Amino acid sequence: MKTLALARQFVLRPLRRDKLRTALTVLSIALGVAVVIAVDLAGDAATGSFQSSMTSLVGKVDYEVTANGGVDERIIANLTALPVNAKFAAVIEQHVTLAKAGSVTLFGVEQLVDPAVAVVSSDAADRFGWKVDDSIELRGRTFRIQKVITGQNVGWVAIDIAAAQQLFGTYGRLDRIEVTVDPGEDAAAVERLVRATVPAAYEVSSPGARSEENQRMLRAFRWNLRILSYISLLVGAFLIYNTIAVSVVRRRAEIGILRAIGVSARGVLAIFLGEAAMLGVIGSAAGIALGRLLASGLVGMISDTVNSIFITSAPGTVAVSWLSAAVAIATGTSVAVFSALIPALEASRVAPAEAMRRESREHQTRLHVRRDLVIAGAAAIAAIGLSQFGPIDGRPVLGYLATLCAVASAAMISPAFVSAVIRLLRAPLARIPGAAGLIAGRSLAASLARTSIVVTALATAISMMISVGIMVASFRETVQVWLESQLRADLYLRAAGQPSAGIFPPIADEVPGLIASTPGVGDVDTFHAFTFRYEGEQATFGAGVSDIVRRHSTLRFLSGDADSILRSLPGQDRVIVSEPFSNKHHVRVGDVLRIALGNQTAAFTVAGIYYDYSSDRGFVISDVGTLRKYLPKQPVTNIAVYVSPGADAQKVRRELDLRLANYAVSVAPNATLKRAAVEVFDRTFAVTWALEGIAIVVAMLGTANSLLALVLDRRREIGLIRYLGADDGQVRRMVLTEAALVGLLAAGLGLMLGAALSVELIYVINRQSFGWTIQFHPPLELLAGALLLVWIFTIAAGIYPAGIARKLQPVEAVHEE
Amino acid sequence: MFDNKNLSGVVGVTKSGLSAVSIRDVRKTYEGGVEALRGVSLELPAGRITALVGRSGCGKTTLLNMCGAMDFPTSGVVEVAGLVTTGLGDAALTGLRRNKIGFVFQFFQLLPTLTALENIELPLLLAGARNVRATARERLDWVGLPEKADALPWQLSGGQMQRIAIARALVHNPAILVADEPTGNLDTASGDLVLKLIRRAADEFGAAVVMATHSAEAAAIADTRVRMRDGLIESVE
Repeated sequence: MKTLALARQFVLRPLRRDKLRTALTVLSIALGVAVVIAVDLAGDAATGSFQSSMTSLVGKVDYEVTANGGVDERIIANLTALPVNAKFAAVIEQHVTLAKAGSVTLFGVEQLVDPAVAVVSSDAADRFGWKVDDSIELRGRTFRIQKVITGQNVGWVAIDIAAAQQLFGTYGRLDRIEVTVDPGEDAAAVERLVRATVPAAYEVSSPGARSEENQRMLRAFRWNLRILSYISLLVGAFLIYNTIAVSVVRRRAEIGILRAIGVSARGVLAIFLGEAAMLGVIGSAAGIALGRLLASGLVGMISDTVNSIFITSAPGTVAVSWLSAAVAIATGTSVAVFSALIPALEASRVAPAEAMRRESREHQTRLHVRRDLVIAGAAAIAAIGLSQFGPIDGRPVLGYLATLCAVASAAMISPAFVSAVIRLLRAPLARIPGAAGLIAGRSLAASLARTSIVVTALATAISMMISVGIMVASFRETVQVWLESQLRADLYLRAAGQPSAGIFPPIADEVPGLIASTPGVGDVDTFHAFTFRYEGEQATFGAGVSDIVRRHSTLRFLSGDADSILRSLPGQDRVIVSEPFSNKHHVRVGDVLRIALGNQTAAFTVAGIYYDYSSDRGFVISDVGTLRKYLPKQPVTNIAVYVSPGADAQKVRRELDLRLANYAVSVAPNATLKRAAVEVFDRTFAVTWALEGIAIVVAMLGTANSLLALVLDRRREIGLIRYLGADDGQVRRMVLTEAALVGLLAAGLGLMLGAALSVELIYVINRQSFGWTIQFHPPLELLAGALLLVWIFTIAAGIYPAGIARKLQPVEAVHEE
Repeated sequence: MFDNKNLSGVVGVTKSGLSAVSIRDVRKTYEGGVEALRGVSLELPAGRITALVGRSGCGKTTLLNMCGAMDFPTSGVVEVAGLVTTGLGDAALTGLRRNKIGFVFQFFQLLPTLTALENIELPLLLAGARNVRATARERLDWVGLPEKADALPWQLSGGQMQRIAIARALVHNPAILVADEPTGNLDTASGDLVLKLIRRAADEFGAAVVMATHSAEAAAIADTRVRMRDGLIESVE
């Protein structure tokens, strides 16, 4: 009861009294929590729907039989003959493009006997406006919708399996066989028998395994997003620290009185931690609602990225579970309480007599600049040390820790940095007319601890913006240079429809011949790509005409001579692998890869490692002749066309469009493909920028909050300069100069920290997460523009506090002390 | 030396001739109905010290603030340096304070982050004056603390702080010096030093000094002692 009364008087009342500051603090926590929640929810929704939704049509499935390059249809006869009580169902799963409508997953199943009918999911029906008995056209054939399966949140169409094989030209080949064990039968025994029946190169796994595999593939991507989302929370933590520190300074006399009338040091600690907890709970609760909204916006962006570079999935619904809400509130509140710990401890150590003395009401902060510099040095050394280690379980955990150490180092340097810069700026500041510069510089230096915290919070946000900016720009530049060397053909062909990671729709067998016979066409490089599994992870196996690749020197290798590497491929079980594949699976030149292809397991020697930025999954590439040896029927999926010297590429393209009109292929000129690749790249990082933007907004709110606190705490000083003849403009200029100084200091510190973090991001975190080599290309103009913009916003954050300062009544301000 | 443009075009030139401040039948009622002044008239001549004495709450501070153009009457007229304060806008009032008025407070009110010299310079900087440093040094010498130019307020004694505050109040040669309990927070020796400076301010600068005080020693240096009670002038000696 006593505690409740104390809480009401000393926690709730001050929060209510300072409504605006409370609101700003709550909003910064809310935004911090919202971003974390939103990234998690949107990530779940964007990646959570890999599992095929066919269970409602075919019932529960216990096992799946799959094989790289497809399952031989004849296997199913062997399985059906097994003396077990289980059902074996052949399935084709492909993506199909609908005219002007988008794409859906197409299943070929045995349950539908009529080759002219289709069953569709409710999601597809809703999306495309289909109803029972409507006709739909799939790859030039018409099907009648027989049934709509309700309750489906993924778009799919199911047709008879034979019709599907006919549509895709995959006669004799299945994508998987689904095994359903009858109740009462020993599932493990069935699995053993199935394994013994299918070729050793085949995989028998539970359906959930595929989904887990996909999730595993995305873990680095999601981890990086998650870490990025913590930035706002980290910035928020600095601001909570600041809010509570200000509260302690302001209520020093109150603390003295409380201590004098018998409240224990622990009681005082509880009051301030209670204040932080209250802000944390309210902020987190608001953050959940805000996060839910934000997630809806982010899900599309994350889903785009997942589809472009990782794996095809359809976004699911965004749903906040009670558990995730509870975790969010616990996280937000813990961050708030933890951030408030130091100032709250300081408050609890205040001696009553000292607190009540008038002079000690000035902001006295115990600063240990030299000790802090030593800690900063140690943190910086720790950051460098941690960056030397490799990933843990595929995640750059130590790299993230190094980032945290670097931020801690910057936070510790901050007071020394702030006072040194203000000392340096003394002369130019004094030149600002009307003493605004003089007073602004001095008052910031006088409240060094508080200024340092605001500067650190803003600098953290700025440094993340800078480091991610440098990383993305460097990456973009690297990709563009790579695109120039990689994409040398004049025209590129693939099956029509939206390209998606891991999906390689086949091109009809006769297309390469048609192209080759077109006037003006020189080399025709056919590429056969398909997804395969290696060490439990998905990657792409591809086969091209290595002779053409060599002649046009489109590949750049990490080491070795491209020409001799490519010459060594034809007629040999030799492959080249992409850099991400090499990093992910620790594969070096000369290593032997054992890859299951069809019914056999082949042993390929790695001849070279080449630069590739098109997919995080990784490529293994052989000569087309080598692939044919193992998978003779593997279809062509992509074609690169080199126009003969002197021929008109435009004319050739028009001719190809005409000749291939009936083959559902898209023909893209070189420039279009390059542009599309850069667009995918930019879309991929859109979510990154969105998160960065929010961190900056949180920091801005903090700056406004802190400037407001500085103004309110210096009421007497502002009142006094009014007595001494300062006009409205001079008071406003003084506060705005402080805002500008805070912005300048934060930009300086943020720039240094950001440069260090960009090196960490490019050479440690990115390499360990995705395995790409990125050349360092800082976008100087962009960074200068962004810094200027943040600086202007910081000054704008001072407008409201400046207005408050202007309206202060000097007589009251001077005499209330 | 000072920019008087803010004062130009303002109506209400004083009829009182030599008085720097003229207060005529002034009443002040605060929100909530508290009557601080109930019909007060007073002239503050240049070069003279007027001490306002009386118990706390008798209206001294309100009257002092009116003399400094920091507070305004509910009725009656306050003329400061020939200008009726109620008729002035914010810019003109700021100009008046910048150029014609100096303030000394009981608790010194030095900016803790500025050195002694910088505190003295402040009114000149705010007014956009020239020769700021030299003028401020002159005043610092005048109060007898030339060696304290670079000292921060916390490095000074109470008496020294108040002397710096007096130097700051006089740095722009004000016509009126408003002092609120200038010795209220000082020991006797320091208080005497400060009072001597205030006397010199009136004699050497010709400032009209108005000082609210509880101290007999302070009242003793005044040329006129105005005793107040319940918002009225009880006696003038």
